[in-house]
Amino acid sequence: MMVGGVLFLTLSNAFLVWIPVLVRQTMDSVESLADETVFGDTSVVDILISDQAGWVIAKGVLLLLAASFLYGFLLFLTRQTLIVASRYIELDLRTHIYDKLQRLPQEYYAKNRTGDIYIRATEDVSRVREYFGPGFMYGVNTITRAGIIITIMFLVNAELTLWALMPLPLLSVIAYWMSSFIHKRSNEIQEQYAVLAGKAQETFSSIRLIKSFAREAYEQERFDRESEIYRRKKLRLDIVESLFHPTLNLLVGASIVLVIWKGGLLVMEGVVTVGNIAEFIIYVLFLTWPIAALGYTLNLVQRSAASNIRIQKLLDEPEMRDDMNGTTMDLSRLKIEFRNVSFTYPGATEKALNNINLTIDDAMSVAIVGRTGAGKSTLVQLLTRMYDVNEGQICINGTDIRDIPIDRLRSVIGYVPQETFLFSETIANNIAFGKENASFTEVENAARAAAVYDNVMLFENKFETVLGERGITLSGGQKQRTSIARSLIRSPKLLILDDSLSAVDTNTESQIVTYIRKALETTNVIQISHRIQSIRDADIIYLIHEGSVAEQGTHDELIERNGHYATMYRKQQLEKELAEIN
Amino acid sequence: MSSTDSKKKGSDKSKSTKAVDSRLIQRLYMFLKPYNKLLILALVLTLTTAYLGPLRPYLTQIAVDDHIAKDDIQGLFRIMLLFGGVLLGEYILTISSTYLTRWIGQGALFELRRTVFGKIQNLHVQFFDRNPIGRLITRTTSDIEALSDLLSNGVVNIIGDVFRIVFILFFMFSLSWELSLISLITLPVLVYATILFKRLVRVAFLNVRDQIARLNSFVQEHINGMSVVQIFGRQKREMERFKSINQDHTDAHIKTVFYFSIFWPVVEVLSSVAMALVIWYGGARALSGGVTFGVLLAFIQYVRLFFMPIRDLSDKFNTLQSALASSERIFDVLDTENKIKSPPNPAAFSNPRGKIEFRNVWFRYASQEDYVLRDVSFVLESGQSMAVVGATGAGKTTLINLITRFYDIEQGEILIDDINIKDLHLSDLRKSFGLVLQENALFSGTILENITLGNPEISRQQVENVVAMVEADRFIDKLPGKLDFVLHERGSSLSMGQRQLICFIRALVYNPAVIILDEATSSVDSETEQLVTKALHVLLKDRTSFVVAHRLSTIQHADVILVMHKGEIRESGRHQSLLEIENGIYRKLYELQYKDQLLAG
Repeated sequence: MMVGGVLFLTLSNAFLVWIPVLVRQTMDSVESLADETVFGDTSVVDILISDQAGWVIAKGVLLLLAASFLYGFLLFLTRQTLIVASRYIELDLRTHIYDKLQRLPQEYYAKNRTGDIYIRATEDVSRVREYFGPGFMYGVNTITRAGIIITIMFLVNAELTLWALMPLPLLSVIAYWMSSFIHKRSNEIQEQYAVLAGKAQETFSSIRLIKSFAREAYEQERFDRESEIYRRKKLRLDIVESLFHPTLNLLVGASIVLVIWKGGLLVMEGVVTVGNIAEFIIYVLFLTWPIAALGYTLNLVQRSAASNIRIQKLLDEPEMRDDMNGTTMDLSRLKIEFRNVSFTYPGATEKALNNINLTIDDAMSVAIVGRTGAGKSTLVQLLTRMYDVNEGQICINGTDIRDIPIDRLRSVIGYVPQETFLFSETIANNIAFGKENASFTEVENAARAAAVYDNVMLFENKFETVLGERGITLSGGQKQRTSIARSLIRSPKLLILDDSLSAVDTNTESQIVTYIRKALETTNVIQISHRIQSIRDADIIYLIHEGSVAEQGTHDELIERNGHYATMYRKQQLEKELAEIN
Repeated sequence: MSSTDSKKKGSDKSKSTKAVDSRLIQRLYMFLKPYNKLLILALVLTLTTAYLGPLRPYLTQIAVDDHIAKDDIQGLFRIMLLFGGVLLGEYILTISSTYLTRWIGQGALFELRRTVFGKIQNLHVQFFDRNPIGRLITRTTSDIEALSDLLSNGVVNIIGDVFRIVFILFFMFSLSWELSLISLITLPVLVYATILFKRLVRVAFLNVRDQIARLNSFVQEHINGMSVVQIFGRQKREMERFKSINQDHTDAHIKTVFYFSIFWPVVEVLSSVAMALVIWYGGARALSGGVTFGVLLAFIQYVRLFFMPIRDLSDKFNTLQSALASSERIFDVLDTENKIKSPPNPAAFSNPRGKIEFRNVWFRYASQEDYVLRDVSFVLESGQSMAVVGATGAGKTTLINLITRFYDIEQGEILIDDINIKDLHLSDLRKSFGLVLQENALFSGTILENITLGNPEISRQQVENVVAMVEADRFIDKLPGKLDFVLHERGSSLSMGQRQLICFIRALVYNPAVIILDEATSSVDSETEQLVTKALHVLLKDRTSFVVAHRLSTIQHADVILVMHKGEIRESGRHQSLLEIENGIYRKLYELQYKDQLLAG
């Protein structure tokens, strides 16, 4: 496709150049006709229909039309091949990037800002496309068109050619310089724009403080100062932008002046004709854009090279260790063990987990409690292999989980994360997300089990209701329950509820918990919670404190122990009592 | 919100669009008015260049016919000199007029930003509750930016383009009316093609925009939710969906590429056809006499020159439309009524003593919501310290919002020194208070600026004294530049306790009649904890103070403790006496929140 495009482009330029040649030939033949014959006051119409002169002119003009139609058609083909091809390159590149994103471990997402990753898959890809599309097209266009035109010009008259071309290299240099200047300044302006927005944000978010100290005038002054810097920076760019087109115009104009002046002298010497001058003027006009584009293209190439490097770096990022040929052992019963597990988040200095040992027997329900930041969520992130342990090991039925293929391990887990994440899709699709080829009945049952069915039925479009920005917003509790339904539809062997009922009222909560206990009798349940009320029936409760297991046992045992757990429980009772006072 | 908003407006908009547009343009013009004289100058410059551009082919004609054809070297030299002069003149004038209009535009934009920022800043606090900060930032920045094209070169350029066309026509007709008519034959086709193209491309672009949005939000969403995709092992399915969205995106682009790859060749071919017609008829006309080679040459150039302003004009119209949409949103903000204003004739108020009284105050944040305060009455005598305690949502912070008149109450009265706060000038009222808020707001800037908030009446010496008083010099002296240390990102390089101290100092240097303090709930590091406790003591000593308290020490030192519960004052008194109430709320709160501090300390 690209090869075809280059061919079309070269051909189109050949036909384009034919146009001024035909103009000159026609004008020259008109001149010689005028020299040979005296037409006196013959009317225009007579001349146009006359066999001799009329035919000469008409022939030239018809050829001219043919050339321009061919040129137009080839131009069409060029765009249809080169630009379209660049769109397909973009398509493939973006697919590669997305595929890579799906393979990257959570560590990558923790280390890099979402915004940066997003730019890789969007802006950077567009830049690279610009290189293959417009960049390539203009590049080839400049080379072929300039090559053909300059060759012909030299064939016509070398001296005139040198004069005509004199200002044009300058054009290319200036276009290059200006477009890199514009690019640099634009970045500066973008930065100052961010500063300005930041200033507005600072003021608006501290509005009470500013009002209370009556400092509105001062804030205005500070905002104005940044706004003034912004204005100045804009104006600096404006100078260059105001220079751009006039300079282009001036140089082209200079070239035309030289053509007429030098050409005029040559006409007087009888070396060239007026037709040649017309021809040269058209050549110069044809060369303007490709030569200016050369500078612009060089800039574009530089920028897309930078984007390309960033994309390649992303594609080279290491993926999570995954033993595809790992164990095929039976996972219908699970015995989970943490053996001396320690873990530090990448980039962090303190250990999130320190020497954890715990065992979860088959069909057991386990609760994990502790303060925010104690390491509760880290436990389940290691178990689901969002991260791998630094020290020690996690085993399922005696096998290290790193020896189980990730897909296989995760296929038996139903994970309800702390921060509910639903996709901007229909409710049905969000629930069915949990299970491949889930039937609608299964979706309904899962919704019932997660006590969200009744809410869904109240929406106008029921299960086909679209969530997210453009759709309906669910309440926090509804979201959590939908997220639970998504896990329940998997009929998981291990259900992990990471503080997933915090926004659900106590009645609904116990309804869901009861269901889970009953329907998922053979399932292991790990429940992380702040509310002791909802976990007091668990088979075993672990209290995590600063990365270690501080207390463990059943509810009654822990109350008896009168430690952190007991204090937590008492406080929650007090809170409840307080809330009940009217 | 904008999509639904505009849809709603869409229906009743069509009728009055014209009226609204012209009103908007008039209001926008107010920002350009100070530059009236310069605008006229810019217009004159633009018109001159609109004349000089089309003059060039005309000069070509003279050069060829009058000099080259007559072997007049001297004449040719002179005319070429003139040509060069015209080029240079056009060059300088175009640059000046472009820069001048942009300079004017940037000035108007600056003023517009300033006005919008000032307006928003001075609006009542409730406005900030209702409008997300992101939206307000958009109004002060990107909405104004959208006017940039219109204000900095829109109108002047439209006039310039129109006149350029007029001048080109003038020169063409003065050279040869026959050739002019012949060469304009393709014009209707071009205009029709342009209009058709614009219409098709607009639809195609809308589709492209949708596809870009769809693709971008898919990518954004899946970067955010990648853990969910991975944990549920749905990579294959999501890949399929991505592929289809990606394909749609590409297809949409390819469709616009198709329109462009037809349009540009058509424009090229049409201008070549026009040129062919000029040569065909002009060639014959040259033989029959009446048209010279110079004229032919001039027309070849005019034909190409003519197409540019026509294309530009159609682009300008689009910018105008989108700019008007933005200006509508901007003027919406500028028209918002300020709900909390100083009275027209405020009561005289100086040297406040700081007595604060609530009389049967009822308040709720919005008229449909539940009351946050119910019949609240209390008196804080001058020189006393008052601590407010209660569970989250009891209405403690609301009290602060009302004393400072961030909101107006529905029923009852709030008095300071026995004057209703609604009768006072807002700045007089607020100057009586030194406010320390929970979030410990700092700004980017030096520590000194953060303390004085740019008030020139506060000397550096004063600040240094207070710093020493609360012993904050212990950490400030360690910072490079001390008081001139520049804080970035709202002071994130300082610890919580250090930020709190700076806010205390800020409240102290203003030497207010009443200190109002909303204590931070989160605990500070033990190192600064001591400093903060000491500083608090300095802060509250011998001063009227009103504290939403979370520290046991603050409460124990208070002259009066108000116990808030569900919007009402349920208990009040001193620490010891409140503790003695059997089954009392204070006693429960004490066990829940404060008792641990005793153990820890």
